Amino acid sequence: MEKRKSVRPVAFLKKGEDTVVRTQKLTRKKARATERISLTVNGKIHEMEVGTASHQIDPAHTLAHTLRETLGLTGTKVSCDHGACGSCTVLMDGKAVLSCMTLTIECDGKRITTIEGLSDPETGELDPLQQAFVDHTAFQCGFCTPGMIMSAKALLGENPSPTEEEVKEGLSGNFCRCISNYHVVKAVLAASGKGR
Amino acid sequence: MRSFTHINARTLDEAIELLRKYRGRAVLNAGGTDLLSALKGEYLSRYPETVINLKSISGLDYVSEDGGLLRIGALAKLSDIVRSPLVSSGYRVLAEAARSVASPQIRNAATIGGNLCQDIRCWYYRYPRHIGGPVQCARKGSGPCLAVRGDNRYHAIMNSRKCFAVCPSDTAVALAVLDAQVHVSGPEGDRAIAVTDFFGPLANALRSNEIVRKIEVPKVSVSAVQTFLKFTVREPIDFAVVSVASVITREEGVCTDARIALGAVAPGPVRASKAEEMLKGERIDEEMAAQAAEQALAGARPLSKNAYKIEIAKTLVKRAILR
Amino acid sequence: MASPYRFIGKTTPRKDAREIVTGRANFLADRKFPGMLHGKVLRSPHPHALIKSVSRDEVMKLPGVEAVLTWEDVPNWKGGTPRCTRILDRKVRYVGDAVALVAADTEEHAKEALRFIKVEYEVLPAVFDIEEALKPGAPQLYEDFPGNVVTPGVPFFGPKNLKEVVRGDVERGFAEADVITEGTFGYENMPNPIPPEPPGVVALWEAPDSVTLWVSNQASYMDTVILSHIMERKIQPRTIGGPCGGSFGSKYMSWQVQCYAALLSRATRKPVKLVLTKEEHLASFTLRPASRMSAKVGMKKDGTVTAVQGTWLIDTGYYSMTTQSQIAVGCGEVQIMVQCPNWDLKPVIVCTNRNASGIVRGFGGQELKCCLIPLLSLAMEKAGVDPFEFLKKNFVRPGGGYFWRDGIWYNHRGIDHTKAMERGAEVFGWKEKWKGWLKPTAVNGPKRRGIGVGIHGSADIGEDSSEAYVRLHPDGTAMLFSCVTEHGTGQVTNYIRMVAEVLQLPMERISITPPDSLINPYEFGPAGSRGTYAIGAAIIAAAEDARQRLLELIAPRLKAKPQDLDTVDGVVYRKDDPGVKIPWKAMAVDRTITGYGRFDPDYSLVNCMMTFIEVEVDTETGKVALLRVVNATDVGQIIDPPGLENQLNGCLGSAGIDSAIFEEMILDRSAGRMLNANMIDYKWRTFPELPVIENVVMETPFPSHRFHAVGVGEIATSPGPSAVLMAVSNALGVWIHKYPVTPERVLKTLGKTGSGKGGAA
Ligand SMILES: Cc1cc2nc3c(=O)[nH]c(=O)nc-3n(C[C@H](O)[C@H](O)[C@H](O)COP(=O)(O)OP(=O)(O)OC[C@H]3O[C@@H](n4cnc5c(N)ncnc54)[C@H](O)[C@@H]3O)c2cc1C
Ligand code: SF4
Ligand code: FES
Ligand code: FES
Repeated sequence: MEKRKSVRPVAFLKKGEDTVVRTQKLTRKKARATERISLTVNGKIHEMEVGTASHQIDPAHTLAHTLRETLGLTGTKVSCDHGACGSCTVLMDGKAVLSCMTLTIECDGKRITTIEGLSDPETGELDPLQQAFVDHTAFQCGFCTPGMIMSAKALLGENPSPTEEEVKEGLSGNFCRCISNYHVVKAVLAASGKGR
Repeated sequence: MRSFTHINARTLDEAIELLRKYRGRAVLNAGGTDLLSALKGEYLSRYPETVINLKSISGLDYVSEDGGLLRIGALAKLSDIVRSPLVSSGYRVLAEAARSVASPQIRNAATIGGNLCQDIRCWYYRYPRHIGGPVQCARKGSGPCLAVRGDNRYHAIMNSRKCFAVCPSDTAVALAVLDAQVHVSGPEGDRAIAVTDFFGPLANALRSNEIVRKIEVPKVSVSAVQTFLKFTVREPIDFAVVSVASVITREEGVCTDARIALGAVAPGPVRASKAEEMLKGERIDEEMAAQAAEQALAGARPLSKNAYKIEIAKTLVKRAILR
Repeated sequence: MASPYRFIGKTTPRKDAREIVTGRANFLADRKFPGMLHGKVLRSPHPHALIKSVSRDEVMKLPGVEAVLTWEDVPNWKGGTPRCTRILDRKVRYVGDAVALVAADTEEHAKEALRFIKVEYEVLPAVFDIEEALKPGAPQLYEDFPGNVVTPGVPFFGPKNLKEVVRGDVERGFAEADVITEGTFGYENMPNPIPPEPPGVVALWEAPDSVTLWVSNQASYMDTVILSHIMERKIQPRTIGGPCGGSFGSKYMSWQVQCYAALLSRATRKPVKLVLTKEEHLASFTLRPASRMSAKVGMKKDGTVTAVQGTWLIDTGYYSMTTQSQIAVGCGEVQIMVQCPNWDLKPVIVCTNRNASGIVRGFGGQELKCCLIPLLSLAMEKAGVDPFEFLKKNFVRPGGGYFWRDGIWYNHRGIDHTKAMERGAEVFGWKEKWKGWLKPTAVNGPKRRGIGVGIHGSADIGEDSSEAYVRLHPDGTAMLFSCVTEHGTGQVTNYIRMVAEVLQLPMERISITPPDSLINPYEFGPAGSRGTYAIGAAIIAAAEDARQRLLELIAPRLKAKPQDLDTVDGVVYRKDDPGVKIPWKAMAVDRTITGYGRFDPDYSLVNCMMTFIEVEVDTETGKVALLRVVNATDVGQIIDPPGLENQLNGCLGSAGIDSAIFEEMILDRSAGRMLNANMIDYKWRTFPELPVIENVVMETPFPSHRFHAVGVGEIATSPGPSAVLMAVSNALGVWIHKYPVTPERVLKTLGKTGSGKGGAA
């Protein structure tokens, strides 16, 4: 069975937008010792213990749960909780994934970006995609919006100037019951090419 | 979700060993897009004690070609299969089938092994525990099949017994038409199973403690036309109501090779062998295509609410042949 | 013509835009409270049963569990119209009915506890069909409702509240008719509007008789009113709203969820959060009522309707809170659509053993029209009448009248909607495309196109009462006190826009109070397209009142009469000499000025939406593709262009147009289980299948309030479903009368499938 390596931050350095951390690798001898995982969320490294206490990551916790309940990042929404609606979309290593269908314990070493990570942390300036959603009123109730923006962000990352069809395909896993879809397509097209 | 313990398997052998050790109390997790639904819905009689992560096994996510064979590691993601130039140039039907699965986010996580091994979608079977408790039925080992007298609009129209759920996997249909083999590893060693033999009415062909390791697909003639057609209620996200995969080679209008597989009509993908035979050596036209379609569905015996699937299947077969 | 307005009709970012796009909008599930517990509901496996015993001894010993409540532990709180449905009862009436409530420190612990509650049931026979439920000997759901017929009428609507449409002389009407058609038509697919945010609440019981609830509902003030009735007026509920993640009517009413949390908090004296899962939302929360109508209509060759007679059966599921209201409004709306002198239309509300029906956008009228228009279509075909001409001709004109929900006759004093209808037809190309009944507009191999049209109009734009305060501050800012939650329409920003226009104050200087029932006056809430006229009128009146008081106070300082003064940007000036001015600060720094506004119901204005639909049907697969939608309406004055467009585009989702194409709840009619209570099997429209939508919006000033506007958001979903049926029938050349038009139904209608015999071996 695997001997897990746990990673402990020893110092934080500020470098560009990301918080970089120097790590010290410790190899555990016994499988019984507290297991840890480390994930980078919006540029910040989180070291978390695995276990069943309330501050720990239960192996049954989804990434959506960890983001919302453990890390307080409630921008990521859960609607269907079954992979069908895209509300809980986050970026994992740049790709759109469903945080409700992902086990946190399997995200060790991953880089996660949530809706909270899009605007500039210092100036508060919105990502051009967020700004385009504001400018086009690309929402009604706004519940689907964070997931929508994250899917669109992933799409523009892969394809900076998509066609209208490609935008629709890229957002094909996102549910909007208010039918803000038409304005969303306009917003994403407007933001394309201008994305960071 | 209810709690479970979790182990990152480092090798396939370790995963097999863990399965053996836990004697049915452990489950494998690949992309998790199907497994997590089962764990959340708690509709199966047994809740696992342990989840074994397969993604921690390195080197199982390849898509490569050698010796005239396309080899796909069980952990290859559907999005990687869609994007692979190798697949989209030589095995287009598979790329199309993989692209038709769910949504971009799911394809970024879902693996081909998981896609083949995913559980059936019967809505009686998957009825969630939290709204009055799970449903018991033939597949769960207790009582009759509820779909037979209930709402069976998405259920099987052929080759079923006891349980009328259909194989939900889209890639299985493409792999069936490509004559692919599923390579599995288990405590007794490795074996290969033809995709069409991989699915059975009550379960897939995996013996206890076996794991899908890779899929091998023989090369397809460059002149063959490969088609995947999937009929759904809505375009993205939905599982197939019926799907058809075909690989058809024509020389000067005459069919020299025809392979046709039907999806979502039976417990597994079904090769329409008689229809294939019928086409070989014939000039393909509307009439011929319609006859082959009739032949492909000749064995269908619908339930109370799914006779429409026969008509759709015929249409898809015809359209695939004429493409 | 240049707009006379500085703010009205201008596109500005929504006030809450930044919160929404950054994920900081605090929806209910995002909120945490110190010591908060989580509530869960144990739900019945049986569609109809008596609870013989509940054993929970083991449960209280489980980690984290703080309370378990069953029907024996709870007060006799009842909901429903009339109030017959206990919050927890000894009897369960559908699969998913609440049997016990649990509060625990975590959601998982609460869920785990449910497994250990042992319940013994005495299973009773159940009934799932409207007509079966009416038969003698059918299982009875309530003692109060013999024969499963729910008591008709809505006392809240007044002593003469509308229960049916009976007027004129139908026999004479049929005698005058050139054609008569009859038949039974249904709209029984019970779509769920599924707002993305499920119903939920956090409740904190603070004193013996007071409870605070943080709600995620559409109308946060009304939660207080409704709960206080249910809690037998002995408890003071305070409700605090927040951003509402969609409602479409359905989350107007969440009294059960709210009471569950309140009771658990009462038992534990801790805040209790209870949010339904999406499965619970689909299988145990309210759906659109199911309708089946057997009726007969008479029509003249020129499309004049001479008589409508029939029985409208409405399946409300296991109880009704609002179905009678929906019936009343539907009965009013049908007269607006068909100006016929002779009616004998009798609704019967029936309860069956499935989860309840409740409010959904379209409120009764959509349900009734979806049954009536197919019948009228048969008559139109016989009489050779074009449906567009028919709907245009029969819709209420200024001066025309109808009995509204209060049973009182009103004459429409608004505008003539004909212009918008004609403009819509032009944009759609109706004249060019219409080839006659049951004739496709185009045929391309197996694919056939067809068109259809539908209409809806309502006098609910002026329903019920609203109150508001506007408070002016010496620093040149203002605050609006109005208990409105933002549920997607953008109206909260628009109310600020209205106040800004009245006070000529930049929108940034105006804030709105949180939708807290403790600090705000009465507000019925945004429903029935009443937001623009009814709520708007109260807010405008409050702003005008505040402005008047300001001018009166300042007048002596500027040596003028109030009527000679005006205010702009927080400065009061003399109209005859704008150089003579003084900032609001002149009111004194230790003073505020509060204006009050109220709106009283006005049922004499009617809005209208006509929807044109083009579909393409693949006759070999049965797939219906929605190609194009044109909505035509007249709103008097556009307040918020993108907000309006968004609302009109909403015609597709929320149990609207798509309820004719693929939306439906699928009930297993032997076990009583909802089979598709998840968002994979419940179908909703996705991006790649968006049709082309064009919204034709006219602006003919309405005699409503000073901005001459009326709302149309609610009615956007309603004309579409019957238009889809019409379009598909025309494409196929055969009538198809069942919702939704699934591939199975289309192929069956074309005679392409026999029914299966069973046994797919
Ligand atoms: C909204 C939604 C829509 C969907 N639409 C489609 C669709 O259109 N078409 C379609 O085909 N599928 C669809 N799916 C199903 C899903 O995409 C597939 O199940 C997915 O490919 C599964 O892959 P996974 O890696 O996530 O599997 P997992 O969830 O990780 O595993 C699924 C099952 O297979 C077992 N398993 C996984 N890997 C192996 C292995 N190597 N050996 C043995 N057993 C293994 C697991 O134990 C588990 O029981 C949909 C799912 C959702 C949630
Ligand atoms: S089809 Fe299979 S899984 Fe579904 S009810 Fe029948 S036996 Fe059970
Ligand atoms: S909440 Fe994750 S996909 Fe719906
Ligand atoms: S804006 Fe309400 S669901 Fe998309």
